[in-house]
Amino acid sequence: MVSSMSETRVPRGGRVRLGAVEGDLRAEENTRIEADGKISVAGAARFDGNAEVVGDLECRSLTAADGTVRVTGNLSAAETVRGEDASIEVGGTFHARRTDVDRGLRVEGAATGEEFEVGGILEGGDTLSAAKVSVGGKFHLAGKLSARSVEAGGSVDVADVELESLEAGGLIHLRGGSVSRSIEVGGRFVAEESLTFGSLEAGGTAELKGDGKGGSVEVGGVLTVRGNLAFSSLEVGGLGSIGGDGTGESFEVGGKFHVGGSLRVSRGIEIGGSMDVKNDLTADRLEIGGEVTARSAVVAATAEVGGRVRTEIGLKATRVVLQRKSRAVGPIVGGTVEIGDKARAEDVYGDAVEVGEKAEVRRIFAARVRVRDGASVDEISYTESVDLDARAHVGASPKKVTALPTFPL
Amino acid sequence: MLNGREGNAGPPRRREVSDLYATVLEVVKHYHGAARITRVSYGAGMPVDRLRVLVDRLVALGLLKSEELDGRPVYEITARGQEFLDVYWKLRGYVDGLERAPPDGRTGRRG
Repeated sequence: MVSSMSETRVPRGGRVRLGAVEGDLRAEENTRIEADGKISVAGAARFDGNAEVVGDLECRSLTAADGTVRVTGNLSAAETVRGEDASIEVGGTFHARRTDVDRGLRVEGAATGEEFEVGGILEGGDTLSAAKVSVGGKFHLAGKLSARSVEAGGSVDVADVELESLEAGGLIHLRGGSVSRSIEVGGRFVAEESLTFGSLEAGGTAELKGDGKGGSVEVGGVLTVRGNLAFSSLEVGGLGSIGGDGTGESFEVGGKFHVGGSLRVSRGIEIGGSMDVKNDLTADRLEIGGEVTARSAVVAATAEVGGRVRTEIGLKATRVVLQRKSRAVGPIVGGTVEIGDKARAEDVYGDAVEVGEKAEVRRIFAARVRVRDGASVDEISYTESVDLDARAHVGASPKKVTALPTFPL
Repeated sequence: MLNGREGNAGPPRRREVSDLYATVLEVVKHYHGAARITRVSYGAGMPVDRLRVLVDRLVALGLLKSEELDGRPVYEITARGQEFLDVYWKLRGYVDGLERAPPDGRTGRRG
């Protein structure tokens, strides 16, 4: 070992025992430094090549170059820890204001700092707390992650989180927690337990194994929520399912969606493909391009069905529009009910019901009824008026009644 | 790194060429136009010599572009590369969905 006023140097292959170091520390390749109590370096510590520090190390800054530096105890740097084509392994806790490591950083204890930037792999056995974490490849943490922003090029695999933003290129897998602003994942996102979030955007797949509560949700491919999901807006490009109840403001599905409980949307639901809701669906507006199945569907304003709607208890809306060739299985309850040409429906209840050409309806209970040419209705009960076109077919003569039966829903 | 194992979803899937392309593109994207080959190597978990071949191929395909920064080449993802990633992850999402779908096909087939 060579010491001067400003630098303590450990030569290649050296084995030394150090305590307080006045100036800088420089260790060459394959050195082993044992702590005499604790190694406390007033200046910078630099390691060229592989090195092992047995015990705790404190310094102003640390640089590791072209090798792996292992500190068996705690490592604390007041300013920076750098790894230039190097890895750093810490058996205890870790602290540095700024950390920039090319290859990898592995910390078994708790890690704290303002900024972590790791080119390859960041691995933590305990908690990590920072303002910003950026990892080029893989980020794995066993304990709680607290940070303002976390970014990874490859994958993030962490336990509980308390973050503002989380962004990963490929995969995000976490236990649960909260991300107050945004989660953006290029590929696949999995939360094992309940999660709250500001917004969630996944290019490929998102899976919440517990409940989810947040703002906007956009998924390019597949969304799976095992529990309940509360959202402001939900857009799914492809497939999706909510195991429990879904509650939100607006809901748009391009492909196919399943809800295991009920779905309550304060504004509109647009279904390009198909959706089935095991229990009840409620919304202000409902547009179905394809097919919807639910125990009941209650819509405050207009329900427009382009394809097929199937309910057990019924579909109720102020205005129901069954478009041309559409199909309704289960009762339809208006307001006004417009049954398009060649559409088919079962029992229809309303104030005003109009049946288009060549449409088929089983029974109508309404104040006012209009049936166009070629349409076919088995039974009509009305209280005010009935208007049948010349070639309309009605199985039994329309019955004028003083009161209609109680409508479903 | 995207080794095909997501969460606790079973054994790792062998990385195919499309997975390797996506891995490299995601890591390059992470560096916002300043991706050096060594850092991409660490991020993608791939040796530099093997990575150079892959990166050259991605540049030739127009998925990456190369520029000089401080006298060293750095890489940036192109719009075409981002398009590749969008399609790649969407397809992975569908494949995952199909593999996890219940027998009645509720979430497993496009309606």
